[in-house]
Amino acid sequence: MNATTLVWANLWRKPVRTLLTALSIAMAFLLIGLLQGVNAGFAEVIAAARRDVMTIDARVRGSPPMPIAMLEQIRKVPGVVTVTYRAYFVADYRPPLSLAAFATEPRIFFSLRPKLAVSEEALRAIERVRGGMLASPALLERFEWKVGDRVTLRSRELHQDGSPDWDFEIVGVFDAPGKAYFGVINYSYLDEARITNKGTVERFFVRIADPDRSVATSAAIDRLFENSSHQTRTHSDQERAEADTQRMGDIGFFTNAILGAVLFMLLFLTANVTRQSLQERTSEFGVLKALGFGDGACLRLALAETACLYLFAAAAGLGLAALLTPFAREISSSIHVSGAVVARGMGLAVVLAVASAAIPCWQIHRLTVVGALSARRA
Amino acid sequence: MIVARQMLALTAVGLRSIPRRLGNSLVIVIGTTCVIAVLLSVLAMSVGFSRTIQGDARGDRVLVFTRGSDSEGNSVLSRENLDLIQALPGIRTDAAGKAIISGEVLLVAPVIRRNGRDAYITLRGTGAQLMQVRPELELVAGRMFRPGLHELIVGRAAHQQFKGLDLGQVIRLHDGDWTIVGIFAGGDSVRESEAIGDATTVMTAYQLTVFNSATALLTSRSSFAKFENAVRIEPSLRVQAMTEPEYLAMVSGPMNELLESVAYLIGGIMGIGALFGALNTMYSAVAARLYEFATLRALGFASTAIVGSVVIEAVLLSLLGAGIGIAVAYGAFNGQAINMLGGSRWDSQLVYSLSVSPPLILLATVLACGIGIVGGLFPALRAIRVSVADSLRMD
Repeated sequence: MNATTLVWANLWRKPVRTLLTALSIAMAFLLIGLLQGVNAGFAEVIAAARRDVMTIDARVRGSPPMPIAMLEQIRKVPGVVTVTYRAYFVADYRPPLSLAAFATEPRIFFSLRPKLAVSEEALRAIERVRGGMLASPALLERFEWKVGDRVTLRSRELHQDGSPDWDFEIVGVFDAPGKAYFGVINYSYLDEARITNKGTVERFFVRIADPDRSVATSAAIDRLFENSSHQTRTHSDQERAEADTQRMGDIGFFTNAILGAVLFMLLFLTANVTRQSLQERTSEFGVLKALGFGDGACLRLALAETACLYLFAAAAGLGLAALLTPFAREISSSIHVSGAVVARGMGLAVVLAVASAAIPCWQIHRLTVVGALSARRA
Repeated sequence: MIVARQMLALTAVGLRSIPRRLGNSLVIVIGTTCVIAVLLSVLAMSVGFSRTIQGDARGDRVLVFTRGSDSEGNSVLSRENLDLIQALPGIRTDAAGKAIISGEVLLVAPVIRRNGRDAYITLRGTGAQLMQVRPELELVAGRMFRPGLHELIVGRAAHQQFKGLDLGQVIRLHDGDWTIVGIFAGGDSVRESEAIGDATTVMTAYQLTVFNSATALLTSRSSFAKFENAVRIEPSLRVQAMTEPEYLAMVSGPMNELLESVAYLIGGIMGIGALFGALNTMYSAVAARLYEFATLRALGFASTAIVGSVVIEAVLLSLLGAGIGIAVAYGAFNGQAINMLGGSRWDSQLVYSLSVSPPLILLATVLACGIGIVGGLFPALRAIRVSVADSLRMD
């Protein structure tokens, strides 16, 4: 009989107990997988955000929009490679449906927002049709539009002919991560025809040559407008992603506190089961030792048994977490049970297995044959 | 009757033997402690949140905002609209016969968190009748802002939660520095997370020409129907009216649902894990006492008494765990102020305190009983399924 068979047989000695223990470990690792997935998702968003792409907003939020003339000044800042801008256009379509569109220079805009994927064909289409709009797939679906449709939107921003109605032609689509309900339109089309806020934009986008100079360049841009009536605040995309996760509240603290409680509960629970199960078999280990198994071999058998239980249960729990991810996205959109999360989880399983088996294993290690065999009826 | 007495006697025997299998019994206690503590802390966020949002909501106070917009922040109200609204029937008037109404504009003001990070709080510009519209507000330090000057008053909760909001300190807004001249308290409400200034002065500073919304006091709760109807039939108004409780329930719904689903998801998964732990414990407790149970049955003890005593033991252990869990959650989190997204405008912060309320404690107790009953019942049934003779021969 080889060691694997022995470990496996010992594990299923009391099937109910093993199953229940495995189930509680699996539940704990399901939770660990989900919570770590939330943290990993946030970290990925931050890491994926670029440092060489920056946005320039009004320093004080809610300020009036900035004049488009600032574009030329920004372009002259050393290190700046590309600049563009966007204004918001908000309109109703068969209320209560409403949409927001970015009025911009589409080609440059998309080159600075790499997360939005757009085809060359769509870009050409919107450059050809001044009153064109590119829409996200989610927007098309919600409004029941298709490419080629002509639509009339009603906005609070009046058209120069005095009416609130604006005509657009849907000329193409772009892909956006998650459910995004927005469109992209030509700034020139909007700005020429609107009455209010003419010649203004809400935000500038900048790409700089050297990502490592992002701090210096953003400071240089902000300094440029320090004494104007439109003070700015420039952030790299990475800084903004970091601030976004911060503002959600102290997520890290909460997930870690919950993880702590789960691990404590788990460790206590399984350490107890392991102790019980190994103690019951004291005399069997005595028999093994009498047959010539060394102290080390007995120790390895006991450890292997616990590790086996933990690894199978943890794998099941983490697998379940990965399966449940689509549902968990309803609550936290950036959750990602990545390979790293699973690997860390399995590592944790090994650590917990060793920790919970440590004391009983040490007792087995110290066991003498006579002591173990005479413990039988005690 | 006899069964009940037998059950009590057996429970007492069982409880007295707990010290001999302490580790096992502690599994139930610690398992429920962790579940209850985590569940209660997250639910306490949700309860504290809705308590703050609903704070001093009054049924006779109405909010008027653009039809179709989902919050006052997304609404637009012109001066002409406001003049029309304040002449509508149902609005309470002050001693001078003036309608008690405040045209309000919502912006955000930058603040600094205690960890040094930036955040925003809602900046509300209000009309001259602020204190009549919201009689629950009360200045606790300093004085009222004066229209025309760059002056603000800030809520007590915001003042305590963020840096740089003391009397005399300044907040940098679009057109320069605004001085904090007063701190106000407002019971339990959202207002305490806001900074308030004069609407006209704020609008001038931000070059705005329209309000966001209007808030008015009605003569009584029952005049809402009249007022609401008047708003609807006035042809030049594209606005809707809602009582304050109605409005607040609408805007806080999604956040509340989110917090609750997080709490129940995490609590549910942990609860199932703890249940398996409890089952395990009671199975081994029963296994160790099979001989004893068989002897008792041979002596004439009723099987139901044996099952009952095992279940009672499991329930008592999990209730002990729940008690510790409630104490931990209450001691660590009750009344603790935190700030989170959820203010009136954009992504401004809302300050509120966690609240471990009596219904939550009741919920925790019921849940613990559930874990105890299920965790004890199945092992107990196994104890009496084995025949007396088999159990006695086993040893």
